[in-house]
Amino acid sequence: MMSKPAHLAIHNVTRQFSVDSRTVTALQYVSLTVAEGEFITIVGASGCGKSTLLRLGAGLDAGHEGEIRHRGDVVQGPSLDRGIVFQEPRLFPWLTVERNIALGLENATVSKAEKKRLVDEHLELVGLAGFAKAYPHRLSGGMAQRAGIARGLVNRPDVLFLDEPFGALDAITKAHLQGELQSIWAKEKITMILVTHDVDEAVFLGDRVVVMSPRPGRIREIVQVNLPRPRDRTSSTFGDVRARVLQSLNGTAHVRDPQPVPTETKSVLPRPAHAIAAVG
Amino acid sequence: MAVLTASEPEATRSAATPWRNRAVDALIALLLPAALLLLWWTASDRGWLAEQILPHPIYVYQTLRDMIASGDLFYHIGVSLQRVLIGFCIGAGFGLVLGIAMGLSERVEDYVKPLFLAFAQIPTLGWIPLLMLLVGIGETLKIIVITKGALVPMTLNTFAGIRNVSPRYLEVARALRFSRWQTLRLVILPASIPFVFTGIRYGLTHAWTSLVGVELLASSEGLGYLLVWGRQMFWLDTVIIAMLAIGLIGFIMDGGLNRTERLIQRWKRNDI
Repeated sequence: MMSKPAHLAIHNVTRQFSVDSRTVTALQYVSLTVAEGEFITIVGASGCGKSTLLRLGAGLDAGHEGEIRHRGDVVQGPSLDRGIVFQEPRLFPWLTVERNIALGLENATVSKAEKKRLVDEHLELVGLAGFAKAYPHRLSGGMAQRAGIARGLVNRPDVLFLDEPFGALDAITKAHLQGELQSIWAKEKITMILVTHDVDEAVFLGDRVVVMSPRPGRIREIVQVNLPRPRDRTSSTFGDVRARVLQSLNGTAHVRDPQPVPTETKSVLPRPAHAIAAVG
Repeated sequence: MAVLTASEPEATRSAATPWRNRAVDALIALLLPAALLLLWWTASDRGWLAEQILPHPIYVYQTLRDMIASGDLFYHIGVSLQRVLIGFCIGAGFGLVLGIAMGLSERVEDYVKPLFLAFAQIPTLGWIPLLMLLVGIGETLKIIVITKGALVPMTLNTFAGIRNVSPRYLEVARALRFSRWQTLRLVILPASIPFVFTGIRYGLTHAWTSLVGVELLASSEGLGYLLVWGRQMFWLDTVIIAMLAIGLIGFIMDGGLNRTERLIQRWKRNDI
């Protein structure tokens, strides 16, 4: 019995690159289903393919095997329904903050007045209302990233992908922005998928933490975080989940070679299927 | 409502350099010219060089006043400036279009760039003999030579500017589903403006120097002609005045462009 299609379904995705005539497997049989409004964090060491997975989801990369579907439609290239925030804010230095954010609406079918209203609203949302007319070089790293987030959000995407958005920030600014991102998520109810190498960040923000391991990049484990929000980093339960994720990350658990998961609609499987370890 | 409160210090930058510093800079810049003038003066006073070869500064100054009073100097400057303006506009305009075309299309680059680079290797003055036979020694010759002088740096810099647009910006354009035209208008062109400006500055400098070159060889008016004529008549004061005018005008044009550039690229300035 088919119910309505999953919000975001990543199914047996394998992505290989050739580097110096060698084939590198960035992702191998990665499968993940994301529910609407869910906050997924993906954590892993560098080279585990987490950014590749994110870019595939956002439609910025292609050439993979397997399938990614968003609301039932196969992801083919970028879409305004899927926003992205990069590690570097990537603001255009020749445009003011407000014009940079408005770029997110460049191809949206909204009136000029509505556009202005949306830009103002999102400037307010990320706390940059006083900096609408400032050029990016006047912003600190944290402020620039807020503008980057506003640009990703302004078009009201269905899913927002965030690629290590706080990776370049100092610890204090980072903690601030994590709290802010959480409030924005709670308020706007947009599905968010955030890639990070910071376990603390992953546990603080995620409904589920996807732990990935490298060479080849694959999902090692998915850890459910059943903690009320906003989360208290110093609580013992938080510490427990963090320890669980760290344990998984450090590879103390035995991991099988990745295998494809069964496809519901297909009766013939490419290989014997094993479920990927999912912990509740 | 704001989900967050401003907690990061606003980035503050130092204000513009105080005028006193700028005055000091200007004085320092004048030091070397003043020393040269002094040397010239001393050399003339002491008769280190024959007066026919190195006229006395006071004598040059008197000639300058005469040439200004008679309108001769400004007439020649006007002729030269007009030629440069026309040639530069044509050359820079074509250079901009060609640079953009080569930058955007690898096919255009493949077809045009090798020939263009070979063409650029031939010094501007090297074209004059052939061009003289083709178009004579009239205005057309001068305009073509100046156009070529401006065209080459403009094309190459615009090309480099477009090729140097960060792939990160282009990826943002892709993520926001920009059309080709939107990408060009909102990302590629603004990102290459600094390079285009370098092209304009080099282009104008080249146009100006090519002008003097072509006027030296084939002209009956203009600053370059003034140089040749002064030499033939052994009026070294006229030669010196023409040289000073050429240098000064070039200097002013470059300075003016520099200011325009900073005005247009306000987003780069630290003290808005």
